[in-house]
Amino acid sequence: MAEITISQEDFNKFKEFFYRKTGIYFEESKRYFVDKRLIERIKETGSESFRDYFTLLRFQASGEELQKLTNCMTVNETYFFREEHQFKCLVNSMLPEIIKQKDRNKRIRIWSIPCSTGEEPYSIVIYLLEWWRDLENWDVEIIASDIDTEVLQKAKAGLFSPRSVQHLPANILRKYFEKKGNDLYQISQDLRNSVEFTRLNLNDPTETKAYRNFDIIYCRNLLIYFDDISRRHAAEIFFDALNSGGFICLGHSESMSRISSLFKVVKFPDAIVYQKPEVL
Amino acid sequence: MGFVKKSDDMEIHGDERKRERDLPGLLQQLQEADPAIRRWAVRDLAQYPEAVPHLIDLLNRETVPFVREAVFTSLVTIGSLSAVEGLLSCLRSDDAALRNETIEALQNLPDLVVPFIDKLLADPDSDVRILTINILEALKHPNVEDWLIKVIQQDPHVNVCTTAVDVLSEVGTEKALPALEALKKRFPGETFVQFAVDTAITTIRGA
Repeated sequence: MAEITISQEDFNKFKEFFYRKTGIYFEESKRYFVDKRLIERIKETGSESFRDYFTLLRFQASGEELQKLTNCMTVNETYFFREEHQFKCLVNSMLPEIIKQKDRNKRIRIWSIPCSTGEEPYSIVIYLLEWWRDLENWDVEIIASDIDTEVLQKAKAGLFSPRSVQHLPANILRKYFEKKGNDLYQISQDLRNSVEFTRLNLNDPTETKAYRNFDIIYCRNLLIYFDDISRRHAAEIFFDALNSGGFICLGHSESMSRISSLFKVVKFPDAIVYQKPEVL
Repeated sequence: MGFVKKSDDMEIHGDERKRERDLPGLLQQLQEADPAIRRWAVRDLAQYPEAVPHLIDLLNRETVPFVREAVFTSLVTIGSLSAVEGLLSCLRSDDAALRNETIEALQNLPDLVVPFIDKLLADPDSDVRILTINILEALKHPNVEDWLIKVIQQDPHVNVCTTAVDVLSEVGTEKALPALEALKKRFPGETFVQFAVDTAITTIRGA
């Protein structure tokens, strides 16, 4: 079999196609990353060239290969309690603000997107159990979404590497995890049952319109992969998804103010977050 | 109390999603008093390029920020020549916020804006020329420096020139230095021009 290469034209063609399908935009600087994964998938599918593979990608009715490729192209580096100040902010500031206005009969809804292998939503669960006393007075629903179906499977299984749990205090690790073999930790069944995992493409309006009535959204280190227009769309989606007065947390290098004026900046002691105005 | 799953809230509720979502229905909803309905219509109209004139019309009278923002997003998504023409017309608005938002939107459509730049830089209204330079500031195009050099060589208005000098101090190269030096001679009595040009030259040489 001849060596498979990706030409500049192939890269451009793929970049445009993938952007239209997922909203994820690859700059020229990502060329090596993209080429490597494309070549892996070309070989894996038995395609003879980029052209063959691209035809499969575009016309396969099931969309299975596009999903597999998307899984390869998304970066899933995460760990428990990453940017922990934002979880402190959740229990110390955001939730106390939310419950001031909220009807006691309604549940509090938190959305983690992208949730990757589950470290973020499970960190939220642990933080609420450990450090939010009002949990006993409220129903809380946690939805965790990702475009990558493989990471969702991993998240549901709840098995984590030592690297993933390395920032957890020892007592938390003992309390909520069980050691499996030499190298893995499994989060307890109760915690696994407390998160609803869903597959979601943020770039597909037919999928996103079902996501409504959230009080808090964690969307960290996703928008950095989007171009300006996709970021604007994402901001509109989060605006729709949040209740008035709801909050959104972004990654430390991301700023909603540079994307959209829909939200106001709120400086809490533990973190800077963005709020959907209460009066629109 | 504690953790729960599978809320009914995941279902789509609310009157706004039960309305007509074809083109005539959506255009009709642009006239609704409820801004949430107008916003939904605007967002759905992003799939109808023929809605551009209606969106531009709404932009010029809409006062609710979250509706206005959705209009810009939809126009950028449509990304057609007529969307750009409509946006360019907003540069003449008396509403400063609208002009600034328009610049941001146009910066997202570089390929479509480029054919209009020469004409805009020759516009009789100096404010439009200044706003055009603001568009150039974030436009990823190889001609940006040449356009700015031409402005400081030819534009008669001092504020237009100093705006161009500001942008040149960020994007300019040694190529711009002769035109910058010459600009000081074109406005010898304007101390601010001397200061801005010297700053730009220092920045470019230091870069």
